[in-house]
Amino acid sequence: MQQFVNFFTNLFSSASSEAYNINTLFLRYMILAGFIVLLVTSLVIIGAFKYRAKKNTKEPEQVFGNQKLELTWTVLPLLAVTFFFFLTVKTMSEINRPFQKNEKPDIVIIAHQWWWDMRYPKYNVETANELHIPVGKNLLTRIESADVIHDWWVPELGRKIDAVPGRINYTWIDADKPGVYSGTCSEYCGAQHAWMRIRVVAESQNDFNNWIKAQQKIPSFPKDSTAIKGAELFQTKTCANCHYISGTPADASIGPNLTHFASRKTMLSGMLTNTDKNLKRWLKDPQKVKRGAHMPDFLLSKKEVNELASYIEGLK
Amino acid sequence: MSYSLEIPESVNSFPKIRSTNGFLEWISTVDHKLIGIMYLWSALFFLIIGFAEAMLMRIQLAQPQNSFLTPEAYNQIFTMHGTTMIFLVLTPMLIGFATYLLPLMIGANEMAYPRLNAFSFWMFFFGGLLLYFSFLAGGAPNVGWFSYAPLSEKFYSITPGVDYWAMSILIMGIGTIGAGLNFVVTTLTMRAPGLSLTKLPLFVWMVFVNAFLILAAFPVLNAGLVMILIDRLLNAHFFLAATGGSAVIWQHVFWTFGHPEVYILALPAFGIASEVIPVFSRKPIFGYEFVAASTVAIALLSFGVWAHHMFAVGLGTTFNAFFAASSMLIAVPTGVKIFNWIATMWGGSIQFKTSMLFAMAFLIEFTIGGLSGVGFAIVPIDWRLTDTYFVVAHIHYVFIGASLFCGFAAAYYWFPKITGKMLSEKIGKLHFWVFVISFNCTFFVFHILGLLGMPRRVFTYPDLPYLGSLNMFSTISAAVLGISFLMFIWNIFYSLKYGEDAGDNPWNAWTLEWLTSSPPKPKNFNIVPFVKSRRPLWDLNHPEDPDWKRKNKK
Amino acid sequence: MNKNKLFMLVFVGSEAFFFLALIISYVYYSHPGGTLASTAKYLDFKKTLIFTLFLVSSSLTIWIADLNLKKGKRKALIGWLIATIILGIVFLFGQGSEYARLITTNVTVSQNVFGSAFFTLTGFHGIHVILGLIVLSVLTIIVMSRKFESVESTALESAAIYWHFVDVVWIVVFSVVYIGAII
Repeated sequence: MQQFVNFFTNLFSSASSEAYNINTLFLRYMILAGFIVLLVTSLVIIGAFKYRAKKNTKEPEQVFGNQKLELTWTVLPLLAVTFFFFLTVKTMSEINRPFQKNEKPDIVIIAHQWWWDMRYPKYNVETANELHIPVGKNLLTRIESADVIHDWWVPELGRKIDAVPGRINYTWIDADKPGVYSGTCSEYCGAQHAWMRIRVVAESQNDFNNWIKAQQKIPSFPKDSTAIKGAELFQTKTCANCHYISGTPADASIGPNLTHFASRKTMLSGMLTNTDKNLKRWLKDPQKVKRGAHMPDFLLSKKEVNELASYIEGLK
Repeated sequence: MSYSLEIPESVNSFPKIRSTNGFLEWISTVDHKLIGIMYLWSALFFLIIGFAEAMLMRIQLAQPQNSFLTPEAYNQIFTMHGTTMIFLVLTPMLIGFATYLLPLMIGANEMAYPRLNAFSFWMFFFGGLLLYFSFLAGGAPNVGWFSYAPLSEKFYSITPGVDYWAMSILIMGIGTIGAGLNFVVTTLTMRAPGLSLTKLPLFVWMVFVNAFLILAAFPVLNAGLVMILIDRLLNAHFFLAATGGSAVIWQHVFWTFGHPEVYILALPAFGIASEVIPVFSRKPIFGYEFVAASTVAIALLSFGVWAHHMFAVGLGTTFNAFFAASSMLIAVPTGVKIFNWIATMWGGSIQFKTSMLFAMAFLIEFTIGGLSGVGFAIVPIDWRLTDTYFVVAHIHYVFIGASLFCGFAAAYYWFPKITGKMLSEKIGKLHFWVFVISFNCTFFVFHILGLLGMPRRVFTYPDLPYLGSLNMFSTISAAVLGISFLMFIWNIFYSLKYGEDAGDNPWNAWTLEWLTSSPPKPKNFNIVPFVKSRRPLWDLNHPEDPDWKRKNKK
Repeated sequence: MNKNKLFMLVFVGSEAFFFLALIISYVYYSHPGGTLASTAKYLDFKKTLIFTLFLVSSSLTIWIADLNLKKGKRKALIGWLIATIILGIVFLFGQGSEYARLITTNVTVSQNVFGSAFFTLTGFHGIHVILGLIVLSVLTIIVMSRKFESVESTALESAAIYWHFVDVVWIVVFSVVYIGAII
């Protein structure tokens, strides 16, 4: 019983007013819907048994209809939907809060085939797949797409919103308590749509500021010899043609920004935990790990993989 | 000199395929009854294929991070599963019943345009073959059955799959439009004497109204298909934002078709229920005018709700509010019919034949499916549940719950008329119970999976709590669902061989098709009695209390 | 109502939705400042207006042809049918020359969304004209090759409904595309 209560509570847990409003509306609707399902089911089952054919019966009384009854069961549903329409508009307005036309967004999210580019224009920070936000702040977020239609969705934080190429969407992101919130791309976007997950870390303003500072730091050149070799390989093996690392000649935005890759808990958009083993598996054969991903197999030797991994793991 | 062309009638009701000209007779037939039967067999054939695709998906999803199917394979299979079930199973099944029954139920001997009728069938059939040919031609379509742009553009989908998808649906769509034309003209010009439009059997009325939906919606789809083909094959820019096109307009065009399409698949099912439930309750339909009028309301409203598929696109509160209102509004004429059907049962003398069991179960399943749908009209709820397994639950509760349940009800009801044999009630009841229980077990959990946040169209999912166990439960239930299909097929073959003779009117029903022999002769009717009410055979069998004598019917 | 005329009316009603979808898409793309609005300036309004008049008059000639059919005047019927067909061919020739001119100015279906939308919309209209001309030609040949006595045939009336439809669609397309380009 306790397990059921926990399950139910978790199903409707929320960490923002938007998610809370959505859940409340859903539960209200469930009451109506549940009532109707029970009503129809009982009427059908009871009716079937009460009026089942008995032996040797004549044809029953031929009734053709009843206008009063039909009017009633039309008007009542109409009233119900009118009520829910008003709740709909009210809740929509609460979630889609207006903003100034030229208000600068706090966060810019650009969806790509199978990863999320996340930027903080006010802090000049760019990262990927793992979004940090301060608790209790309403963050105006701009949502774009670099290729096909994707959809940003973190259930506990609020609504879904599409990332559409050629279109700019805005939404508010806010969390009212610290925690790690998991989300996922919610518009089929190709081969690896299943692994385009989202990780949102909501933390105190202090912790967030520290995180920003760490993200703004330009990583220093590695000291370890293996890592130094890895840094060279990053340029010569053309990783730099797709990936951005601050403070190096690598400044492309085709693949995720790797400047502080080692600070993230997961890799490949939430597919794997960010460990040495997983990183090496990925570098050795990307297509085997995340089939269809746009990163080709660079046919790296085991030594090269170790060197690159050593460099990348230094990018904290 | 007259230019009328006699349509040669075959001698036998069913040309034997293995006889000298049997096969040729079937493939060259313009007889609406034989064409209807071909539609139904084709639907069954593609049902098996579509189910196999579903089973492959379910096996892959039974466990988290499974590697039974590669993502490429899975993505082609889920696309083909949706496309198959909608265009190659439900559509031909319902059009098949309509093609077979429409002339019979209005006392006509043929459709208005028999050759167009045959053309429609063969376009559907070849369209289906073309779609499946894509597997051999570089890859089946893999962008979902509604093929959103720009994912469906050449740059993001280089295999010819989308080309095959678009071309085959164009071909099938033209066939469907032909069927719609035939239904409209036949119903308007070939009714038996006395059979006014207000006396039409509800199945005919629904098919008739549905035909207008087909005629308005499919051309819009064709426009969209033509645009994506021209984009892909001639490098045009309809849906590429970078060069002035728009990704969103694909959604507008597609869903302007797509939403009426789901009513196209539902209205004939409602018509079937409106025939089956009265006969097995031994009472006329409760509120004929109401049911008929609500059908027209649905048809008109269905063109004003399409953007409820686009609530997450970010088109603004006002835009969303309009479509929320229209979508909630359309729920009313759709839903109140349930009460009419229940009221038909109440006060009756209900026979628990297999057909009736399916019809009664339909009432409950469709209520669940319809209510989950109305939930999506409430925009903020949509913002949580769209594109999750909650939608997958909804669509299967309406597609299977209404269209397929009523399809089975129709099969058990009209099989005796079509073949002259009764389907076995024993096997039928087994089929019913295994089907209804496994169906609910397979799909009810999808509501929960959606609430747990599992998105749709994913070839796998992370090992989060309950996702694995619920998916496994669904997979096992789906296997049982497959077994229930086998029971149905077994029933057909068993009953064709050993079924008891049906006679003209085994159910003591009241509409004109039951006046003919079972199966009907190639020429349906030699004489049709003057029709005086909605239940001509009740009038014939109850000369002391015919319907047309009742002044006050309420 | 006669079966064949009813069929044709319902059929053209259905086809109207196809063109409506393409027309509304065209309008959607023609927002001011977009590539469609600027490229549409390459269209030749005056010339196309003249060819439009040819198409519109073919609706008149087919109507007269039908009048002659009902009066049983075979020779006049054939004459007016041929006039209709010729006017239709002239219209197509005009379309073709417009297409040729645009293509040589590098306005093609793949150039930008104007090209895509323009050629698709007018192209499908042109296909419908061609199909109509085929039907009219077949009808003319049938009339020419038999001793024509029956005035009850609804074939010409039905074909005329289709032909008028093709005409009306063109008037709408012309207004939206050509007049729209000037505004």
